[in-house]
Amino acid sequence: MIRAENVVKVFSGRGVTVRAVDGVSTTVDKGEVVVIIGPSGSGKSTFIRCVNALEKFNEGHVYIDGVDIADKKTNINKIRAEVGMVFQQFNLFPHKTVLENLTLAQMRVRKRNKKTALEKARMLLAKVGIAEKENEYPSRLSGGQQQRVAIARALAMDPKVMLFDEPTSALDPEMVGEVLDVMKQLAREGMTMMVVTHEMGFAREVADRVLFMDEGKMVEEGTPEHFFIEPREDRTKLFLKQVL
Amino acid sequence: MKLTEKLWFWKILLAVILILSAAMIWGSVSRIDYEWRWYRVPQYFLYQSDDPVKIPFDGRVESIKTSGGDAKVTLISETGEQVEMVVDAKSIPIVENEDLFAGDTIGYEVEWRMGPLLTGLWTTLWISAAASVLGLIIGMVAGLMKISKNYTVSTLAAIYVEIIRGTPLLVQIFIAYFFFGTVFNLNRNVAGIGALSLFAGAYVAEIIRAGIQSIPKGQMEAARSLGMSMPQAMMDIVLPQAFKRILPPLSGQFISLIKDSSLVSVIAITDLTKSGREIITSTFATFEIWLVVAAMYLIVTSVLSQFVFYLERRLAISD
Repeated sequence: MIRAENVVKVFSGRGVTVRAVDGVSTTVDKGEVVVIIGPSGSGKSTFIRCVNALEKFNEGHVYIDGVDIADKKTNINKIRAEVGMVFQQFNLFPHKTVLENLTLAQMRVRKRNKKTALEKARMLLAKVGIAEKENEYPSRLSGGQQQRVAIARALAMDPKVMLFDEPTSALDPEMVGEVLDVMKQLAREGMTMMVVTHEMGFAREVADRVLFMDEGKMVEEGTPEHFFIEPREDRTKLFLKQVL
Repeated sequence: MKLTEKLWFWKILLAVILILSAAMIWGSVSRIDYEWRWYRVPQYFLYQSDDPVKIPFDGRVESIKTSGGDAKVTLISETGEQVEMVVDAKSIPIVENEDLFAGDTIGYEVEWRMGPLLTGLWTTLWISAAASVLGLIIGMVAGLMKISKNYTVSTLAAIYVEIIRGTPLLVQIFIAYFFFGTVFNLNRNVAGIGALSLFAGAYVAEIIRAGIQSIPKGQMEAARSLGMSMPQAMMDIVLPQAFKRILPPLSGQFISLIKDSSLVSVIAITDLTKSGREIITSTFATFEIWLVVAAMYLIVTSVLSQFVFYLERRLAISD
């Protein structure tokens, strides 16, 4: 479903160059939940943003369903419609109501008519548990509610894969659970997911595979059992000791 | 309760200050020898024209029939041709059966016409409106060019903005009229509107650039991550939000434009300011006319800012 080969992303400015992502390769199969963990600045967010080309990487390849997204001939908008993304800062459209947030891209990109888009939107809002807020503006919602709307917005496009970029990091602690619950439900339903997070409990419970990144490199990858119980690398051990 | 009492105090103080300043100005004015002729002003807003109506041939007045304020005059030429003409009933210099020569006045056509102050205001308004629309389009394009990642495109926009913002509008108007007007054979209205819209466009470009850049990057990213194209994301997500933020500075710019449009009077466009000057040359009512002209600009600009205030409140719903 997703295949990343030797992805390199270099940030340069004011004479300093940083290899934020330094040759990362991995695959995510259909229905698999892959969780990426690592200390801040390890390049995990940058890497997940490379997967839908929000970040243009300098070297390597990312294939979504076999299509090379860095290829100039690829219609990136078409690919992105298949790859949902949830951001740390929610990024809901503040000038649109909750319903409009969910219907806009359906109509613009998927060319659905308003009725179909509304049905889909209401179905998803019910699923994430905020059906009663459909006519509110995002600023009236709590962080947890906003993030659930953001997940519903991404799901409205019927994506094949969902990317989560630290979806709970900007939330007050008491709201983390409601967002993670939605994500767990998605995983149970067989959604292919790639999740950057600091929630070790989520990783342990839901992940099929855990990747550990540090300083732009993929240090270790394995099943949660392997990862949390008997990690190989010293850096992984150190990180886990710090966060657990 | 306490707060309202205090507010009353400040309101009274404000009134006292305003009345005192008015009284001081009034005192100074009465010490100089100026004869106020306010009664001369109204005719420059609206006046009754009386155009003479003339008989087209040598002939005779057959009949004069008065109905309401109008009189229908029937004329018969020496060759028997009959013509009916309508004139104002109040001032008819002829009587029935009078013999007339071609070109003699048989009466007056009276109607209300806009005086120079109103026609000048109209010119000011449509020149400002045209320059605002063009300035908005130019500014939108230049603003988007300025945030472009392409070096040539963004530098071109930057040069344009620098040139316009670094030179006086008055000089720009002269250049537009005397240089470009001569080279490209433009009439004064085109040159005037062109100069004003290029001037406004440079400022609008900066406002729009700042407005777009004030929208968090995540908005564009969220829209793009849903598969929307760059133009779609701009039109549906970024620009509507930016518009709300740029509305106050943008309206300020357009209000400035109405005032700045007074400068086109230097290339002989008869706007409100030039009309005022022309009236003064014939009446010497300098004080009255300039005060009236200022009041007219003030009315237009305050109506506009009230409208923008209303618009801002309506757009604030999603905040």
